[in-house]
Amino acid sequence: MQKRQHKEMNKFWRVGEPMVWLTGAALSLTLLSAIVLIVVIMTNGLGVFWPSAIKELELKDGSRVYGQQMRIEETADKSGLRRQYKIANRDLYGLDFRWIDESQIVTETAPGEVMVLERIEHGDFYGTLQKIETDRIQQVPATTYALLSELERVNTQKEELTELEEKLNDDSYRMEQMRLTLLKYDYRKLAADDPKRIELLNEQEELNEDFGRLIKLQTNRVAAVRKAKAVFADADGREKEIVLADIFQVYEPNLMTTGEKALFYLHKLVELFVGEPRESNTEGGLFPAIFGTVMLIFVMSLFSFPLGVIAAVYLREYAKEGLLVRIVRIAVNNLAGIPSIVYGIFGLGFFIYGIGHSIDMLFFPERSPTPTFGTGGLLWASLTLALLTVPVVIVSTEEALGAIPREMREGSYALGATKFQTLYRVLLPMASPGIMTGLILAMARAAGEVAPLMITGVVKLAPALPIDGNFPFLHLDRKFMHLGFHIYDIGFQSHNVEAAKPMVFVTTLLLVLIVLLMSSVAIRLRNKMKKRYTFGTF
Amino acid sequence: MKQIQIDNPIIEVEDLRFYYGESRAIHGVDLKFPEKQVTALIGPSGCGKSTLLRCFNRMNDLIDISRVEGKVILDGESIYDKSTDVIELRRKVGMVFQKSNPFPKSIYENVIYGLRIAGEKDKAFLDERVENSLKGAALWDEVKDRLQDSALGLSGGQMQRLCIARAIAVNPSVILMDEPCSALDPKSTARVEELIGELRKDFTIIIVTHNMQQAARVSDFTAFLFEGDLIEFGVTKQLFVKPAKKQTEDYITGRFG
Amino acid sequence: MNQAFRKKIKRNDQLAKWIITVGGMAIIFSVILILVLIAKVSLPLFLPPDSELYASNRLDNAAEVSAVAMDEYLETGYSIDASGLVSFFNIKDGSPLDHEQLSSDTGRQALVSVETFGRLQHALLWDDGSLTIEQVKFSPFFDEQNNNKRSIVHRIEQQAVFDSPTQGMPLRTLARIDEEGQQTRVDLFSANSLHVKILAVTESMFGDEEISEAEEQLEVIFKGDISALAISDDGKQLFAGSDQGELARWDLSDMDEIGLVESFQAFGDGRSITALNMVLGDISLAVGDETGQVTSWFPVRDETGNRTLTRIHDLSLHEGAVRSLARSSQDKTVISLGSQGLNFDHMTSERELLTLNPQDDIRIYQLTTRGDAIIALSDKGELLSWKLDIPHPEINFGTLFGKVWYEGYDKPVYAWQSSSASDDYEPKLSLSPLIFGTLKGTFYAMLFAVPLAIFGAIYTSQFARPRLRGIVKPTVEVMAAIPTVIIGFLAALWLAPLVERTLGSMFLSMILIPAALMVSILIWQAARKLEPLKRVERGFEFLAVVPVIIMAVAVASMLGPGMENLFFDGNLKQWLFSEMGVRYDPRNCIIIAFAMGFAVIPIIFTIAEDSLSNVPPNLKAASLALGASRWQTVWRVILPSASPGIFAGTMIGFGRAVGETMIVLMATGNTAIMDLSIFNGMRPLSANIAVEIPEAPVDGSLYRTLFLSAVILFIMTFIVNTVAEIVRQRLRAKYGRF
Repeated sequence: MQKRQHKEMNKFWRVGEPMVWLTGAALSLTLLSAIVLIVVIMTNGLGVFWPSAIKELELKDGSRVYGQQMRIEETADKSGLRRQYKIANRDLYGLDFRWIDESQIVTETAPGEVMVLERIEHGDFYGTLQKIETDRIQQVPATTYALLSELERVNTQKEELTELEEKLNDDSYRMEQMRLTLLKYDYRKLAADDPKRIELLNEQEELNEDFGRLIKLQTNRVAAVRKAKAVFADADGREKEIVLADIFQVYEPNLMTTGEKALFYLHKLVELFVGEPRESNTEGGLFPAIFGTVMLIFVMSLFSFPLGVIAAVYLREYAKEGLLVRIVRIAVNNLAGIPSIVYGIFGLGFFIYGIGHSIDMLFFPERSPTPTFGTGGLLWASLTLALLTVPVVIVSTEEALGAIPREMREGSYALGATKFQTLYRVLLPMASPGIMTGLILAMARAAGEVAPLMITGVVKLAPALPIDGNFPFLHLDRKFMHLGFHIYDIGFQSHNVEAAKPMVFVTTLLLVLIVLLMSSVAIRLRNKMKKRYTFGTF
Repeated sequence: MKQIQIDNPIIEVEDLRFYYGESRAIHGVDLKFPEKQVTALIGPSGCGKSTLLRCFNRMNDLIDISRVEGKVILDGESIYDKSTDVIELRRKVGMVFQKSNPFPKSIYENVIYGLRIAGEKDKAFLDERVENSLKGAALWDEVKDRLQDSALGLSGGQMQRLCIARAIAVNPSVILMDEPCSALDPKSTARVEELIGELRKDFTIIIVTHNMQQAARVSDFTAFLFEGDLIEFGVTKQLFVKPAKKQTEDYITGRFG
Repeated sequence: MNQAFRKKIKRNDQLAKWIITVGGMAIIFSVILILVLIAKVSLPLFLPPDSELYASNRLDNAAEVSAVAMDEYLETGYSIDASGLVSFFNIKDGSPLDHEQLSSDTGRQALVSVETFGRLQHALLWDDGSLTIEQVKFSPFFDEQNNNKRSIVHRIEQQAVFDSPTQGMPLRTLARIDEEGQQTRVDLFSANSLHVKILAVTESMFGDEEISEAEEQLEVIFKGDISALAISDDGKQLFAGSDQGELARWDLSDMDEIGLVESFQAFGDGRSITALNMVLGDISLAVGDETGQVTSWFPVRDETGNRTLTRIHDLSLHEGAVRSLARSSQDKTVISLGSQGLNFDHMTSERELLTLNPQDDIRIYQLTTRGDAIIALSDKGELLSWKLDIPHPEINFGTLFGKVWYEGYDKPVYAWQSSSASDDYEPKLSLSPLIFGTLKGTFYAMLFAVPLAIFGAIYTSQFARPRLRGIVKPTVEVMAAIPTVIIGFLAALWLAPLVERTLGSMFLSMILIPAALMVSILIWQAARKLEPLKRVERGFEFLAVVPVIIMAVAVASMLGPGMENLFFDGNLKQWLFSEMGVRYDPRNCIIIAFAMGFAVIPIIFTIAEDSLSNVPPNLKAASLALGASRWQTVWRVILPSASPGIFAGTMIGFGRAVGETMIVLMATGNTAIMDLSIFNGMRPLSANIAVEIPEAPVDGSLYRTLFLSAVILFIMTFIVNTVAEIVRQRLRAKYGRF
């Protein structure tokens, strides 16, 4: 009996069933780690905008504090638990977050009157409303309703201000253009009494006057807007006067119903997509980064799509099969594996310091040494990424063309079609899912690629979008923002990493969603295509 | 070899040799194909019958390493002349392949493909051609209500008849058929054979087939090829009943092949 | 078909063919040109220096001249003759421009010697022993009256005046003035009598100027006589060499405690030291001796902790004695004059850059401030100026890849430290630690990724149900698309703190997971005999092990702290440091292994899976039919035929890991150390480029070195990928497409 069992065991190991399980375990580990990654991003990213309750804590030393609980963990000496609270009020406490040992907490309540103020500066403020001061004669009662209506009023005023600011921006843009034109005149040694120059100088004068007038107007209006203030108190009763114009949004999380919270969440989501970033990117929206990413991908596709398709068509349909084509094909596949940073450094050396510098020398010599195209910008970054992604498009287009059965080509030729007619009437339409796959994969790669952008023109805060109302509307020489770089920047370059974390996770979540969506579409397309051809062939 | 007299040849092949790189696939074939008749090319696998067929519309041009010597004369013009327009040639000599190869387009678009690439845009004319061609290929009744559906949704036999319709839509004088029924079930095969019988009224048909019964059924003339040589050419009935050559007899009685 | 249309489509066809052929070839070759272009940027690093004789004139009063120099625009030159007359002339044609008569404070107009230092500063020793420091300044001037014609104007500025010493006429004198205006004068009188005088002007609390003065006879303990002297630019350090091969160093930085720091026999053979000079940065001393050898020395900490001058670099070897030494004010280049002419050496790289050897012996010479030209006066009165083109003197294979003894270091090291606050810093551009970092990170990542990916691929292709395979494969492919910036960010801000906190648990789970798996397999072995369980098993193993893994991790995280308490005094990190001497960086190779491994798993997995499932099914069937178990079939039949594909996948994954930038940038400490420890970080080539290139001046040594590191990265990945591609093409030819 013993012996038999032993024998069976032996056979069991020899047959290798444990190895099968081991391979299964490897797969599970891989998939589990992917799931963990997604779950971590989801749990950290999804909850950021949910207005969770603000607790009022009374501590053993008698102090009180408002805070939003973030997480719980064991204390360093393992004697108990400690909680991390977001206590906000950076201007009062210096820090946004605080660890409090549970043993220190005497009571914990959730008072309804606590307000969260999202401010333009210094992060959030948690506190209770004490009084409202306006420049009007009648007193305003210190109620939430009054605060909201005052805020409304201030907001309309602020909107007017924004309009004014836009005008100012236009003016300053025009002034800059005029300065550059004058520089050009100087460079071309245009005489001082040249009518063109005089006209421009007159215009400049006018514009200067207008600008001055606007500035004055703006200063006055700003002063007027900033007169409305409110006083808030933190849990300890410390008062803080806050200018209403600095308040971005007010809510009372402890009084909100779940439905209201959901609405608020949606509202914040919308803000995320259309809002401008605040507080060195750690708050507010992602609009410029999303816009920059989209523009980047778009401009990149404009280059890499036709180039990749032409190259692939050449390789597959026109080039004579032989050693050379084989070598080229290896090289192209190879290029897909070249580190992106190498492309980046190429973009820097070739596009920016090479071509860009030459453009500056040729067309904008008067601006030198200030570079126009001789510095990082959207165009160069897109071109660099296009180079990086061209192999992806080439490989998948080639694969798609190669998968089309020979009979299709023969059928077309037999009816008297030329090569080109066959190509664009039969082959390209048939290969289009494959080409699309390549393009989408390329776009997904471009959306997630950061390293080459860092040296070809991405910035943490771009002063202007690459598209605006000023001629020529599309400014490809401008620096831009990018979601991927945004993550790197606010996660690693900001001063207050803890306060930046929620925003990093939100950005990460957004980027992951975009990229995963794009690549799953691409992969589905490819698999579908594979199926269709294999079905057709046999 | 005894030459039978062909009075009105549409294609004349004179000493045709064909090379794949260095190796010769066809060693000097002389043949005359009668107009508006069905000629079958038979022979064992690899005897060069498909290659020979593809010489008539210069399909072999697509193979980089191929080379042709000798002459193929269509309507009195050598098709391997430098001045020959391959495109024009292929419009005159249509082809139906072993495996049906409709394009992944609608049935309608498939039929008018040859006309479209020739720049034909007149809608009424195209409609009429589609109807005529599909009727000619005996497919009209089956597909007339779904002309805009994808051709890939048709059955195998329908697809092959669609390919025939596509070939006759450009109104060629010759139709080459490269084992058109080899991938079809017997019922579809019968329909295609029937169709070939109809088509001979308007077109010269050269058909490559593996199937001797089929050759006997559909063709008026038969040529037997063996290892790149033309062994025998004659009226089908005669060739099958009383072959002149031993090799032919061996082949048709099934001793090899 | 009508003729016109036929013509048209034919024309289109030709046109398309032309465009596609030209365009396709252009695109492909321009993409391939990338390497060429990057290499082109880095190539000048290795170009040999070049010199070009720019002008040659005669100087009539050559014998009288004690100094020559020229401006940095290479337009105006000047000479100072024994009477103190400064004559300016045009460099190109030698035509005289104007003169300026200098005289001592005491009105003397006869010069004993001139010593040139700094930015065309001249210490003039007059025949009464008094000394003045004069600086010649050049600046471009645009004449607005005259169509903005450019000319170079010059002026002479007196910077310091020293009285005659009481001891009489010195044999040799050195004088310096530092940025705060402190003046230092060192005189050598006969017989090793070395005298220093320091004048410092300080502003007192009440705003009036106070002059403090120190004067001291320096202690000299040489056996021989002082034969050479050198003083640092700021006048804080004095060096002397003797005719018996001794060197001495004095510290003059504290006026109250001027004293001898060390004096020792530098050359055992007692050779005479004939020339001394400081190298830019005032740390290294260049020493020339009678055998013609030029060496560089700087203080290095010895066993007792004292800093002593140590011979570091051996530079040129002249045929006769070294006559004089000069230095560049741009970099660590040392110029030495011997009987065979002028030699240019770079100290760090020990490169012999150039030799200028005109027919006549050179008597005096002076490098321009920018270091791109030199003017020299020969014995015969020939005044020669050369343009110098020494693009990257500090770069050679030794400094790029070898160990170099940098200034201030105790021993030769591999180091990367590209920049510092000061200009006279010795850049450390060794690529070795970076290549090491790249390979180290890649190694650990592959260690993690390869088994998981390959085993996972084996399971997916061979054991999993086809439907599962249809889900798993695209999932893993989608994984490949996760941007590395996200992986890097999570690794650095989520995983690194987590691992640091639960280091014990992590190691424990590495043991527990395999153990738990083994146990669970054995249990299953018993359980599978039951009929209902038998059916669920095959093809779903990987789901069945999920709870096992999760439980193992949970147990490990519970037991981890306890284990740390029990075996490692409660803190594994501390224990590692105190017991094993291993420093724990929070961002270390464990993190990199996880993060970068995670990034390359999908690549290896996909390619390996493709090649595994492309093994013809009849092979598998044949093996199974012979009674082999499914694992035996895989091990003996499938794996051997798929191994080239698996190899190719591993290679491509390796290439990806080598070039990965964002993960390593975020999740390593970016410290350029060469240490194999898994608890340390590293600085790989790719992250280094990303960090440094935005700051690198275009076409500078750093810029080109970074391009060179890109070339290295390119070559590394290119080789690996090409091997993989060739293997894949072979496979493709064998098994059809995959």
